[in-house]
Amino acid sequence: MNKKEVFKLAKGFRGRAKNCIRIARERVEKALQYSYRDRRNKKRDMRSLWIQRINAGTRQHGVNYGNFMHGLVKENIQLNRKVLSEISMHEPYSFKALVDISRNAFPGNKPAISPKKEGLAILI
Amino acid sequence: MAMAVNCATSSSLLLTKPSNKPSLKKTPFVGFSLPAAPKPSIQLNRVSKICCQEKTALVPAGQQWMFDDITGPDVWNKTWYPKAADHINTDKPWYIVDATDKILGRLASTIAIHIRGKNLATYTPSVDMGAFVIVVNAEKVAVSGKKRTQKLYRRHSGRPGGMTVETFDQLQKRIPERIIEHAVRGMLPKGRLGRSLFTHLKVYTGPDHPHEAQKPVELPIRDKRIQKQT
Repeated sequence: MNKKEVFKLAKGFRGRAKNCIRIARERVEKALQYSYRDRRNKKRDMRSLWIQRINAGTRQHGVNYGNFMHGLVKENIQLNRKVLSEISMHEPYSFKALVDISRNAFPGNKPAISPKKEGLAILI
Repeated sequence: MAMAVNCATSSSLLLTKPSNKPSLKKTPFVGFSLPAAPKPSIQLNRVSKICCQEKTALVPAGQQWMFDDITGPDVWNKTWYPKAADHINTDKPWYIVDATDKILGRLASTIAIHIRGKNLATYTPSVDMGAFVIVVNAEKVAVSGKKRTQKLYRRHSGRPGGMTVETFDQLQKRIPERIIEHAVRGMLPKGRLGRSLFTHLKVYTGPDHPHEAQKPVELPIRDKRIQKQT
């Protein structure tokens, strides 16, 4: 590609990489390689983030991620990890219900140590 | 948070030709045949059109309630990322833990998890979602085995021959807070965010701390082997 296109893609780069064509061309090539690789990595990273979030959410209820997913598989609940992580963040009561379903399907986790709750918070 | 569902979900019926409308009278969810009702005009038109984010979709009447509020952003199909209002420092919880006779590494691990925010379902690696932790009685922290005399703390000034080596014992006599700080710093991520997370750890020798105004809560510890066996 010609210099104009290279400089257009080099916007925001540090130092001479945005101004000088020889350096900019190298950096832009590298940037495009990274973006190719990271379009594939992004899918892996997002799934890993969902799993970490689900793990944190279930551990608040005393179940770890592995046992939780095993319980869901046994009950044939096919919710994917993206949706499960969103439920764990935004719909706590529904998530607790899911954790209870999983715990009944595959017991063996101890309830979490939680601070004393009063009123409606007991339901969580 | 409001569940603003847009029409990209599979439960909506997307059609390109408007002529197919009459054939949708019997939707998959309306399994029974409709009885002869006195208002045929409404029954013939049991699908309604909704328009959300420049896309249109046809929704059967029974599911209309799900699409009442589609003005907001798409919560379910985009992974949530915290806004500035979700991690204001003044709203974060403060925890307090007494380090007396607790095993150093296990204590540091629990502290690091809470500071980083990994115990929360809203955990995000690029944002500081964690809490503040106060450690008191730092000089009474315990280690097992012979570590009290054998564990070495090294530091280097950068100049040749500038390495200083101290044992756990000597450092505890000199600067007791540094032991817990060193342990927790090794367990936090290294980088800009890790350095700012480290500032959320407050270690004090003795039982007093100046943070009564933050009303710290007891740190919930799930590790059963953290207390030193006497």
